[in-house]
Amino acid sequence: MSFRTMAALLLGLVGAGRAAAQVPSEPLAFGGGRVTIGADVSASFGGADPGFFNYTDYDHSALRTLRIDVTGAVRAGRHLTLLGEMRTENVDGVVPYALYVRFRPWADRNIDINAGRVPPTFGAFARRTYASDNPLIGYPLAYQYLTSLRPDAMPASADELLSKQALGWRVRYSVGDQAFDRGVPLVSAFRWDTGVQAHAGAPNGVISGTVSVTTGTLSNPLFSDDNNGRQLAGRIQLRPVTGLIVGTSAAYGPFITNALARSVSIDDGGQYTQSAWGADAEYSRAHYLLRFESIVSGWRLPLVHQPAIDLPLRAVSTSLEGRYKITPAFYAAARLDHLGFSHVVGTQVTAPWDAPVTRLEVGGGYSILRNLQAKASVQRDVRDGGRLQRRAILGAAQLVFWF
Amino acid sequence: MSRPSRLSCFSCLTGVACLALFVVDATRAQAARLGSIRGRVELRRAAPPIERRPGVSELGAATAVAVSDRLRSVVYLETAPRGAFETSEGGHAVMDQHNETFVPHVLAIMTGTTVDFPNTDKFYHNVFSLSKVAKFDLGRYAAGRSRTVRFDRPGIVRVFCDIHSHMNAFILVFSHPFFGMTDTDGRYRIDNIPPGTYNVIAWNEGTSSDPKPVTVPDGGITELDFSLR
Repeated sequence: MSFRTMAALLLGLVGAGRAAAQVPSEPLAFGGGRVTIGADVSASFGGADPGFFNYTDYDHSALRTLRIDVTGAVRAGRHLTLLGEMRTENVDGVVPYALYVRFRPWADRNIDINAGRVPPTFGAFARRTYASDNPLIGYPLAYQYLTSLRPDAMPASADELLSKQALGWRVRYSVGDQAFDRGVPLVSAFRWDTGVQAHAGAPNGVISGTVSVTTGTLSNPLFSDDNNGRQLAGRIQLRPVTGLIVGTSAAYGPFITNALARSVSIDDGGQYTQSAWGADAEYSRAHYLLRFESIVSGWRLPLVHQPAIDLPLRAVSTSLEGRYKITPAFYAAARLDHLGFSHVVGTQVTAPWDAPVTRLEVGGGYSILRNLQAKASVQRDVRDGGRLQRRAILGAAQLVFWF
Repeated sequence: MSRPSRLSCFSCLTGVACLALFVVDATRAQAARLGSIRGRVELRRAAPPIERRPGVSELGAATAVAVSDRLRSVVYLETAPRGAFETSEGGHAVMDQHNETFVPHVLAIMTGTTVDFPNTDKFYHNVFSLSKVAKFDLGRYAAGRSRTVRFDRPGIVRVFCDIHSHMNAFILVFSHPFFGMTDTDGRYRIDNIPPGTYNVIAWNEGTSSDPKPVTVPDGGITELDFSLR
């Protein structure tokens, strides 16, 4: 999307702000509430990002995105609900981001079974990626920053992997698919996985748990499977006191595609996996909100040539976020993020397999209306390695409208 | 203690003079017997219950919430009789947060009233309003706790919860006491109105009727019905 188009859309949204006062702030409801439709629209505009810190693929930056989400729920009785979400980013086509059936076997018990393209089981942020839920404009690194790993291509040696530091936005390898493509983040916030999910919670809400079996992995959610393997994921969440939520998650699933496995003469790629563990906490009281999330992910790849890659390739992300409401309409927020990688031994150097990144984002939001908000933020990114720009200070503005 | 200044002495004298005028005015009003307006507000199409946003990203289905009572309307005098504004007293009212719903959904109060917002749910709520009449954010507070807001300016205040987007309510703040809430059948009554001719308006969920002129006779009751939506 060009600068002019983006600016025009942004101005259009500003103009729409006044008209938005006439738009209902409640979801549209039909059939006596059996059908409900909501929407989130956000337009972000940030400066150029030559270091590709915020890119989600070669073309898209999280700081320069027009995103439209339309969500819907169709309730068919007390036990069955069909839920879906259509999403478009920068008007580049419409994607069914979510589409699943929620079955509640006992109407009065907090037990649900979801089947289809289901919400992420793992972690906390993946289920609140909507601009109206994100106090800042950027995303946590674990959910957005593209590492140099790909499920369909891989380096032949540690030296080749080390040469790709910081190139996750557009990377190619000598093994597997040799076209340029993006790498994967630790956990994708931009696609949901497909499978079956079961969720249960205590009636008082103190504890809940979720397990799922899906086709893809955390870093590469899929609609249709490409490696005959299934990912298992689970999450336990506790609310020991009002205002405190503590969660832990784990996931394990085959990562590489069948095509990549065949290219290195492996029949069963199931042992080449992504496994991850996460911990998260949220505490809120009065006018402040604090969130913490840490994710450890490990990938196993086939070994092809010397020097061999030390497996698993680990990545550790830590994110601390805070928000404080200064006035009824205005809040300030900040997030400190770090993404680190395990070391591999090359012929000439021992170094992290991808360049560690640290990000500090500080910003705030102003509510023009209850459901129309303007945000601004500045982020400072520092990358310790790679051939690209290693430091950047990026400003961004965003308008958010929802109902 | 400091001595009273010339300005405060002047204020005292002015206050006494105003009080004397008010007493004269009130005496006149008592000479004429007060009347009432009563009637019914018919809602041709009641506002539907407020639904949750589709919880697509939630792992499980959300618990059922209580249905807001959106049938109650408010009927009020558009122009109040002389002397009405001096009768403002700082009262107390309560708007509870229960079952992810504000109870009552509509509150009609006079300026100077303090409204308590207790949380009787087991989880956090965060009451706020961005209305021009009263901007406030009470922050997140747990079950059993309460926060208060005093409303000093007349107008309509829309109240929301920052955590539960389907929670909303109205507070109508009047600078005079001549208003009444309907019951669930739409019946209302406004008492203690000095005789005279007034414009009366009915309001329901953001929709107002056109002002209807009505004459309140000396000590009598006037019937006035409305039809909304």
